[in-house]
Amino acid sequence: MEAIYEYAWLIPVLPLAGAMILGLGLISFGKATSQLRSPSSIFIVSLCGAAMVLSFALFWSQYQGHEPYTRMVEWASAGDFHLSMGYTIDHLTALMLVIVTTVAFLVMIYTDGYMAHDPGYVRFYAYLSLFSSSMLGLVVSPNLVQVYIFWELVGMCSYLLIGFWYDRKAAADACQKAFVTNRVGDFGLLLGMLGLYWATRSFEFDVIGDRLQQLIESGALSGAMAALFAVLVFLGPVAKSAQVPLHVWLPDAMEGPTPISALIHAATMVAAGVFLIARMFPVFEDIPTAMSIIAWTGTVTAFIGATIAITQNDIKKGLAYSTMSQLGYMVMGMGVGGYTAGMFHLMTHAYFKAMLFLCSGSVIHGMEGVVGHDPAYAQDMRMMGGLRKFMPITAITFLIGTLAISGIPPFAGFWSKDEIIGLVYEANPMMWLVAWITAGITAFYMFRMYFSTFEGRFRGADTSVRNQIKLEQLQEMGLSMGPGAMNPHELTMEAESDHAKGDHNTHGHHYSTSPHESPISMTLPLILLAVPSILVGLVGTPFANYFEAFIHPPGEVFDMTEAAAHFDLSEFLLMAGSSVGISLIGITLAVMMYLRKTIDPAAIAARIPALYQLSKNKWYFDDIYYNVFVLGSRRLARQVLEVDYKVVDGVVNLAGLVTLLTGEVLKYFENGRAQFYALIVFAAVLGLVIFSGIT
Amino acid sequence: MLTADFPWLTTSILFPIAASLLIPFLPDKDGKTVRWYALVIGLIDFAILVYAFYTGYDTSNPNLQLVESYNWIPQLDLKWSVGTDGLSMPLILLTGFITTLAILAAWPVTLKPRLFYFLMLAMYGGQIAVFAVQDMLLFFLVWELELIPVYLLLAIWGGKKRMYAATKFILYTAGSSLFILVAGLAMAFYGDTVSFDMQTLALKDYTINFQLWMYAAFLVAYAVKLPIIPLHTWLPDAHGEATAPVHMLLAGILLKMGGYALVRMNAGMLPDAHAIFAPALVILGIVNIIYAALTSFAQRNLKRKIAYSSISHMGFVTIGIASFTDLGLSGALLQMVSHGLIGASLFFLVGATYDRTHTLMLDEMGGVGQKMKKIFAMWTACSLASLALPGMSGFVAELMVFVGFAQSDAYNPTFKVIVILLAAVGVILTPIYLLSNLREIFYGPENKELTSHEVLVDAEPREIFIIGSLLIPIIGIGLYPKILTQIYDAKSVELTERLRESLPAVSQQAASQSVAFGAFNGELLKAPAIE
Repeated sequence: MEAIYEYAWLIPVLPLAGAMILGLGLISFGKATSQLRSPSSIFIVSLCGAAMVLSFALFWSQYQGHEPYTRMVEWASAGDFHLSMGYTIDHLTALMLVIVTTVAFLVMIYTDGYMAHDPGYVRFYAYLSLFSSSMLGLVVSPNLVQVYIFWELVGMCSYLLIGFWYDRKAAADACQKAFVTNRVGDFGLLLGMLGLYWATRSFEFDVIGDRLQQLIESGALSGAMAALFAVLVFLGPVAKSAQVPLHVWLPDAMEGPTPISALIHAATMVAAGVFLIARMFPVFEDIPTAMSIIAWTGTVTAFIGATIAITQNDIKKGLAYSTMSQLGYMVMGMGVGGYTAGMFHLMTHAYFKAMLFLCSGSVIHGMEGVVGHDPAYAQDMRMMGGLRKFMPITAITFLIGTLAISGIPPFAGFWSKDEIIGLVYEANPMMWLVAWITAGITAFYMFRMYFSTFEGRFRGADTSVRNQIKLEQLQEMGLSMGPGAMNPHELTMEAESDHAKGDHNTHGHHYSTSPHESPISMTLPLILLAVPSILVGLVGTPFANYFEAFIHPPGEVFDMTEAAAHFDLSEFLLMAGSSVGISLIGITLAVMMYLRKTIDPAAIAARIPALYQLSKNKWYFDDIYYNVFVLGSRRLARQVLEVDYKVVDGVVNLAGLVTLLTGEVLKYFENGRAQFYALIVFAAVLGLVIFSGIT
Repeated sequence: MLTADFPWLTTSILFPIAASLLIPFLPDKDGKTVRWYALVIGLIDFAILVYAFYTGYDTSNPNLQLVESYNWIPQLDLKWSVGTDGLSMPLILLTGFITTLAILAAWPVTLKPRLFYFLMLAMYGGQIAVFAVQDMLLFFLVWELELIPVYLLLAIWGGKKRMYAATKFILYTAGSSLFILVAGLAMAFYGDTVSFDMQTLALKDYTINFQLWMYAAFLVAYAVKLPIIPLHTWLPDAHGEATAPVHMLLAGILLKMGGYALVRMNAGMLPDAHAIFAPALVILGIVNIIYAALTSFAQRNLKRKIAYSSISHMGFVTIGIASFTDLGLSGALLQMVSHGLIGASLFFLVGATYDRTHTLMLDEMGGVGQKMKKIFAMWTACSLASLALPGMSGFVAELMVFVGFAQSDAYNPTFKVIVILLAAVGVILTPIYLLSNLREIFYGPENKELTSHEVLVDAEPREIFIIGSLLIPIIGIGLYPKILTQIYDAKSVELTERLRESLPAVSQQAASQSVAFGAFNGELLKAPAIE
């Protein structure tokens, strides 16, 4: 058994090697490598599969009660400072390894179908593999510095993958936004890390926790300082896990290909923030201020995300806001001390949300056959409808995911979400109320999505809907260009003809009138992911909580039989009943509005225009940030440059005696006999040296 | 056959210079022999350096090694004395590496190739000499000498405003280097003995006032070179006009001379003054990081943008030097080598892009990624390296400076917090300008206007080779920084120890004199001691 621990470093290294081989191939023999499609994908998928097998072996060994294992190598040193890197395998790591490798493995299989016609197929696999490697490196990190390293690396992979279709302007903007927003979080993480190091002289998680506790108790460090450091560290998760106010990058990140939306922006990377909170739990749990900030951040995020998701028409954007909301739940759970509950929801969410995203990818893939490769049409739910008839597997799996996220028992999401909501109730009733209402909204928007996509009449051939979407798009562009930029009609014509031409040139085939089910490589991962989406929640039921027996805060002892003995059925039924109840209310509303059409959603929107606009405009976060930060920083930078040109350059030029001569000397130099004058300068200098040397 | 007594350093300096003198006699009709000749000379010299490093250099020894000393002009007490230690060894190796690559990068130069390669080889020797010489007078001489080839390279092969840029460059650097001469002479004649030997100068016991004057003089000279704001304005002009190979030398090596001399002379010879000036260095470093990042963001000219980014990165060097910790100093030295590699690669790519687009204005670019996929990939890799992505050398250097400064006990906590906070703002600003830059060059729909009149061919193997050669050490150091830090660790530990010795003494004086730098409060903050 020991041997697998010694070779555990292979888990992140295998995908890295794959990425490097493909990358080198692409850069040195670009054409040849990009034609080796199936060899490349099989190679990468099997490396990931090997990592998955190793991960399962480690998980099994940990489950059998093997001691945590750590191996370190000295990485950097200067004088008496030593910093080691390595890997550590404990329960938390083993769980994350399994989650990451399974989702990555399935997403990689799915990619083969989804990216089949893309010229960047091989490059995409290289990026996917690089990401898997970084993410696996992150979860095995034994200390904060190594976490920070891989934290940035997953951010880089996310940047590369969001900008994968780099000829799209929206993708170009989105990838930069993602990276910079994440850097703001990393800024906090870096500062917090340095602060904690300054106080405790350590980067190890539990050592920091212990020493910080001692310091606060002895009064050597004020509680406020400790809280500040903790909150700074928490800024990292705020950005990475798309918490308010640094969530703005996640919806835009949907510009990337759908497989990575599933893998990175739903299942793994965005959950890294929650993972980091879990790792830092020994530090956070003793600082009540930090814990309540974490909990409230999560609560607000869950609520805002859910309210925005209601009005989204883009299927991926809707799912993105739902991810944000669910991450809010996890962070909320962590914040109220629910280490196990947060990690449990991370696990269930990883599976059902990855599946939902892959379903949306399958839908988009099907829609593209009808409306063309334009994300504005292919992803808009107003163009969909009735897809269940055309793509039954996708529809069923999407329904399973929808039930799971809505918290309907016995699907996975019910158990984990209910555990969080139960804990929140004990901690703070106000917070519970928000979480509870959010659960209802979640059920509502998810079923809205399901009904508008898969039920009703297929609207893909409907030109009026198409024109409506086009018009909205133009309005948005018009707004961003400012009033009077261009006559909208002119633009319509131009864009329309451009669109037709583009389609003709790049694809040159006629579109069918109805969408088709995706190939087996895409539906198989959906089916496989449906299994944990239904069942995985059963490992963490409150009456037999195997999950908590495996994952519980470091330093705590958990006895499952004892916990089961404390289990109070009536209390459980009350809590579960209330959350299922509100979910059912949400579902009923969705049925009436989007399936039966007995209530007209447009009428409701017209009744409360302010709230509708608030949700539709994403609470105006993007507009405010654009005007304050983007324009502000540009203006500031321009002003500094002006100062540099006009003031600093001028003053320094004038300041010295040397520069007083500049004007005169320049004239001579511009005569073109520069070499000669350079010799004079040199001779003068040499003369000066000799002269000074003699005296 | 070759013993340890062989004058390796002298050979490595004189060999390229001597070889350059033969260039006029080479039979060369189409300018192609000369470049092969220069490349072979460069490679041989680099091999000499590497061999000398492996055989004659002991990493555990903090003292000068590979020492050679010959009397040159006894009347002037001018000695040809060279040697190397941890401070200079990495930079000497870097010089050999970057200059050889720069010669390869200069492959397409067709205008006066003989003169061009002559100057490149002369630079080669001159640059090594700057890092290797151990005699103050000689240092000043080679410092000045190496300016001439740069000046000519700028003035003849530069862009449209090359004369202005070259003149500004020579006036700034030559003018400021007079301070080196003055300070060097003053230090040599101080006290009873007259000596130009750097070792001797470092051991002299100067009064604090004298040290402060000398420190200020050196600081002006090296601040121009490094550069430190506000003495940086020659750099965007010079970089904006230089061709890619010259660029690589400017960013890769010449800027490092400022940092090197700052450590060698300001910190190494005048430790008491260093203790007083250190807060100012830290503040200047912060200004460098933020100010230059902002100007870089606003710049619309690609070359100037990258030039400003160099200035921004040099801020970490001054902060590290002023941190009074092993780690901080180590980070500063690492940052110099790292930026040498990254800066050279970025500037090379700027040149490669310009060769294709024939414009440096970002507004005229955009959407060229589809035609130039490999160049796009290399740009991305190097930009990520420059924005200190973990796994690459820049990250390690910045992290070491950050952690070093955070654990420094020479400053009070408030000052430290503010400094770290502001320096970390640079961490946000750097990706903003570098990624905007990438987006504006490569992303977006295909640029019809540009492709209509320019043929955008993708990278050729030579270009991939150059970037690959630069990325290997960048990533190597990033993955395992000890391969570089162990070269100078012994020296930086020794130097830090010396600097720290002068801390309490100065702080008492500083308190009584109430020196203007309030941040340096003299009382040592004891880090919470935990057993």
